[in-house]
Amino acid sequence: MATKKAMLIDIKRCVGCLSCETACKQLHGFSTDPEPTLSDTAFTVVETRGDKFVRKICMHCEDPACASACPVGAISKSALGPVLYNADKCIGCRYCMLACPYSVPRYQWTKLAPFVKKCDLCSDRIKAGGQPACTEACPSQASVFGNREELIAEAWKRIRDDSSYVPHIYGVEEAGGASVFFVSDVPFEKLGFKAAPTGTQPVSTLTASALGDSPKVVIMGGTILSALYWVTQRRREVALAEAEEEAAITRMKDERS
Amino acid sequence: MIARIKSEITLWRVIVAVIFITGIYATYLRFFEGFRASTNLTDQMPWGLWVGLSTLCGIGLSAAGFGISAAVYLLGMERYRPILRASILISFLGYMTVCVGYLYEIGLPWRFWHPIVMWNHRSVLFDVCVCIMTYTTVLTFEFAPAVIEKLPWKRFRDTVLHFHHKILIGVVMAGVLLSSMHQSYLGGLYLIARGKVHPLWYSQYMHAMFYLSAIPAGLALVVMAIYLSMRSLNVRVDFSILSDCGRMIQLLLIVFAFFKVLDLTANQAWSYAFQRTSEAGYFWLEMAFLAVPILLLSLDSVRSNPERLYWASAIVVAGFMVNRLNVSINALQSAMGTHYVPKWTELASSVLLIAAGVIAFRYAVIYLDILPKLPTKPQGFTRWMSNGGLPAQA
Repeated sequence: MATKKAMLIDIKRCVGCLSCETACKQLHGFSTDPEPTLSDTAFTVVETRGDKFVRKICMHCEDPACASACPVGAISKSALGPVLYNADKCIGCRYCMLACPYSVPRYQWTKLAPFVKKCDLCSDRIKAGGQPACTEACPSQASVFGNREELIAEAWKRIRDDSSYVPHIYGVEEAGGASVFFVSDVPFEKLGFKAAPTGTQPVSTLTASALGDSPKVVIMGGTILSALYWVTQRRREVALAEAEEEAAITRMKDERS
Repeated sequence: MIARIKSEITLWRVIVAVIFITGIYATYLRFFEGFRASTNLTDQMPWGLWVGLSTLCGIGLSAAGFGISAAVYLLGMERYRPILRASILISFLGYMTVCVGYLYEIGLPWRFWHPIVMWNHRSVLFDVCVCIMTYTTVLTFEFAPAVIEKLPWKRFRDTVLHFHHKILIGVVMAGVLLSSMHQSYLGGLYLIARGKVHPLWYSQYMHAMFYLSAIPAGLALVVMAIYLSMRSLNVRVDFSILSDCGRMIQLLLIVFAFFKVLDLTANQAWSYAFQRTSEAGYFWLEMAFLAVPILLLSLDSVRSNPERLYWASAIVVAGFMVNRLNVSINALQSAMGTHYVPKWTELASSVLLIAAGVIAFRYAVIYLDILPKLPTKPQGFTRWMSNGGLPAQA
């Protein structure tokens, strides 16, 4: 089992230089013009919130809502941490975009054969032992990459060492945890971070109970329908027999008279 | 000659021509120019009118097929047999339009078959896909006799229909179960979007609400279709059957309304209904479309008058569509920080599919034994009279 990797984003240290954004765009061969929000050619962007800079990026959830939602299983969580998209399976239903609690996946609306686009945490590079282009480009250690457990320890260390930090790591427990997490010196809700809709539970639990009921529905429903049909048939038989009996009695009466 | 051509041009034919021309052009834009040219969909609103109208309304309004077939085959309510085939036909055509609409909706339509071989049992959408595919097969099977009995080869006909009859009950049961599952799973699709769906519609029982609302709406569409068939074709159905359907629709709407109120109370969502937001407006519109038919259908004068019953059913169908569009579009806009208005091409292609379904229904009723028919087209009031109490032909 490979050691799980992760990315820590420190909002206090971020200087808003956009190096991460540019490095990402260069790696993927996109035009390096900055974009205001995530797009199919911007897998990470730096948004300005007051005097703070907040990176937007796929959270690489531990139990991703998108992976649970995808009807053809095109999205999966890899052992190293990245949530990967298999373009060969995708049918383009875009349910992942609806399911994602962070609204991260983007679509190639202008293409005739459009695919879903999002950050893959530079999966190929980290498989080869490297680190993502964005953390490599970061000049201020605001985005750092490493083993998940060690990075969580590092995050807590930064919080302990500097009392201006909010004592919370956003992304470690949210929606079942993620491989990207944030520390900040400004409360997260003021920076546009939403509380996860399911607290610390994975978002897929929202559909699991409804789906889990289906075998019960099939078995119970099948039994009830069969029983109803049996009753209907039985009533039909009884009615038929009674009608025949009545006919026989009438016939007998007719014969007698 | 010109006079003859002129007499062939009627208002409805012109409307159909416009629908087909715009629809086919919209289809061209969708498949040869892409989403940007044919939709107003964005990353913030990845599902729009096609999902709301073509899929959610299409499937929901096709719910009568399983309802009536369960009533007739499983519960022995023979009274509804005359409208059985019409209900199954409506469902069959409804599912057909949804299957074609699916090709518009997905970005890579040539991969439509992927869900058959690539499974993800954790996905609600996968379950919806599989249920819809299987149930479309079931509907084809249930509807097939209407076509097979018209074939000229007697031995083939008899063998097939005999075999068909033997497994029919099993297939009907499977159909009821499949329908119950995917009618509710269509609502279940939105369960995962908690925090995105407005609280006036989001609930952990969304799937149950979808199921409860689909059946009355499906029945109402059957009432509408049969009324129109009786008006324009030589079809005659005992009106008391439709009248009873009206009562049934009302009962089912009351059940839905009861659970909707319960659900809103349990989720403490009432306060949102009294805010000055567009969502509250859409919510009250939907509630009005729910309350009005409940009131109308409680009146004898509505239930016993074909035209009034038709309009009451039309309000039920309209209210159902408002509900589905609310869930799929209006409930998402504020959380996604976007304002989505469908492009004309989205509407035109959806309307094209609906029109194709309506036309197919018309010709099926004319050429197949779908509904009991009179030898000639009736005049005046006679078309509403019972067929002498005789069992219907179809």
